[in-house]
Amino acid sequence: MRLKESAVRAKLTAKGREDSWPAGWAELGVSRRSFLKFCASMAAILSMPPAVAAKLAESIEKAEKPTLVWLEFQDCAGNTESFLRASRPTVAQIILDKISVNYHETIMAAAGQQAEDALAKTVKNHAGKYIAAVEGSIPTGADGAYCAIGGKSALQVAREVCGNAAATIAIGTCAAFGGLPAASPNPTGAVAVGDAVPGLKTLINLPACPANAENITALLVYYMTMKQWPPLDQYRRPLFAYGKLIHDNCERRAHFDAGQYVENWGDDGHRHGYCLYKMGCKGPVTFQNCPVIRWNEGTNWPIGCGHPCVGCAEPNFWDKMTPFYRHLENIPGFAVGTDVDKVGLGLTAAVGATFAAHGVIEIARRKLGHGPDQGEEGRKGE
Amino acid sequence: MSAALAASLPGSKRIRVYVWELPVRIAHWLIFFSIMVLAATGFYIGHPFISVSGMARDHFVMGTVKVVHFYAAIVFTLAVLSRLWWMLMGNRYARWSQFIPVSAARWRDLRETAKFYVFARRDPPPTVGHSALAGAFYAVIYGICLVMIGTGLAMYSPMAPLGSPMRWFSFLIPIFGGLPTARLIHHIGMWLLLAFMVHHVYSAILYSAVQRTGTVESMVSGNKFVEPEALAEEGDD
Repeated sequence: MRLKESAVRAKLTAKGREDSWPAGWAELGVSRRSFLKFCASMAAILSMPPAVAAKLAESIEKAEKPTLVWLEFQDCAGNTESFLRASRPTVAQIILDKISVNYHETIMAAAGQQAEDALAKTVKNHAGKYIAAVEGSIPTGADGAYCAIGGKSALQVAREVCGNAAATIAIGTCAAFGGLPAASPNPTGAVAVGDAVPGLKTLINLPACPANAENITALLVYYMTMKQWPPLDQYRRPLFAYGKLIHDNCERRAHFDAGQYVENWGDDGHRHGYCLYKMGCKGPVTFQNCPVIRWNEGTNWPIGCGHPCVGCAEPNFWDKMTPFYRHLENIPGFAVGTDVDKVGLGLTAAVGATFAAHGVIEIARRKLGHGPDQGEEGRKGE
Repeated sequence: MSAALAASLPGSKRIRVYVWELPVRIAHWLIFFSIMVLAATGFYIGHPFISVSGMARDHFVMGTVKVVHFYAAIVFTLAVLSRLWWMLMGNRYARWSQFIPVSAARWRDLRETAKFYVFARRDPPPTVGHSALAGAFYAVIYGICLVMIGTGLAMYSPMAPLGSPMRWFSFLIPIFGGLPTARLIHHIGMWLLLAFMVHHVYSAILYSAVQRTGTVESMVSGNKFVEPEALAEEGDD
């Protein structure tokens, strides 16, 4: 970290840019040093070499102001909270400062008609140029009556705003995959942004509950620097954040491979930081960079503090990852928490019992009822 | 043993027929042994019942079990695929038409065999290869084997090293409804195969006892001892 920083600083100072540090940013309490630290950490999250930090710093300073509108539908504003409390709040403010946020229900000063006008104006004047960030799922039931803003259903708003955007970022699991509102039985017919507005040319999913502020920021920094969006996986998630299984970078992985597991909450293994696999950890089936960037200024993360991963960044996690404290999902048609392996063992035993009985009957009927002659006749008769 | 058995039978007019070719027998036993290993290691992976104490660096229980599982999976996959290939290349008793009943004769045989199993008929209809009922059952079993291979590859793909061609199989993940569902299907498939195995061993012994064609031994030697009528009858397949 120290090496990186000094390299970056040397490069920037050599260009004599220390003097050009914007006064506005200094007033916000953002020193050049903390800004460069921020750029170095962004480079790390994006899996780029340290030297790129200088390039990031340069492009963030020079970048044209992208316009962003932030839509909220069936959500809890958790992603907004996550983003606003970005791990380096003052630096994140710079990003906000560098982005023209034209509409965001939670943080905008305008309200009512004024606010809706701002949105309409952005869609009209910046058509094809602005970024649409969407938080929350979109209900399709009851003609969209479950979520309406300014007399328009969420579906209408999403089609209009995302349809005209240069790119749509679905932030959080609800926007990316439907999330909690779409969990069975999905009473509002909630769908993900990608399903509500099919055929979006640029859609980036940033699932997790909430999406990690570091990843949201890194995605925007990537766009401002590279003028394009990062490579995505098959669920349209950026590979820099969702390219690896949690399990593969987990600090408890050695205990998994050794065969050391927490068996009960608070047991010896739990106190020694053993693997949470048997407590239903979904790290082996979840893609995200939590073990690397962690949460809350890198303080800790769920598995780090002894709780299994619940797989919040995966599609349908409320249905697929539950029960959270069991290894396997529920079997359709069986009581909640039924162990598929007990059912399987029962099935195997039942087959065994059936054929044991079959064998007994077969022997009995050969010994008793039918003589061989009868059998021969029977065969001829067919 | 089989020859002696055949000779001891009344009439002794039975004919020795080379039914199971070498590739069929090799594939059969490779599939059997690999399933045994896969089920045992797979059960441990799902329910790690051995726990070790001390430093993690001194142990590699789960790691070893997983490696054994993966190697057994390679054997299983290649054996199943080879057997499927042999359904196109092999003799009449190895061919796909033994598994998928298309002719009227096979459907009749299927019905009659089912009758035997529910005690509505004293003896099973004479067969040389698979009975139509068993063949149709095996077609389902091959389907389950392919699902096991598919879900296994789907679950393996994200843990394959970067740049490994095995990563390509991640396209299967959404097809099986995501990794957790793939895992559930993988468990269910294992139990279906084990339950099938119980039935399979019983039926082999039953047929051996009833038909006296040397069904069980034939899986080693390849030969069955059948009555001439049985051979004549299957001519009109």
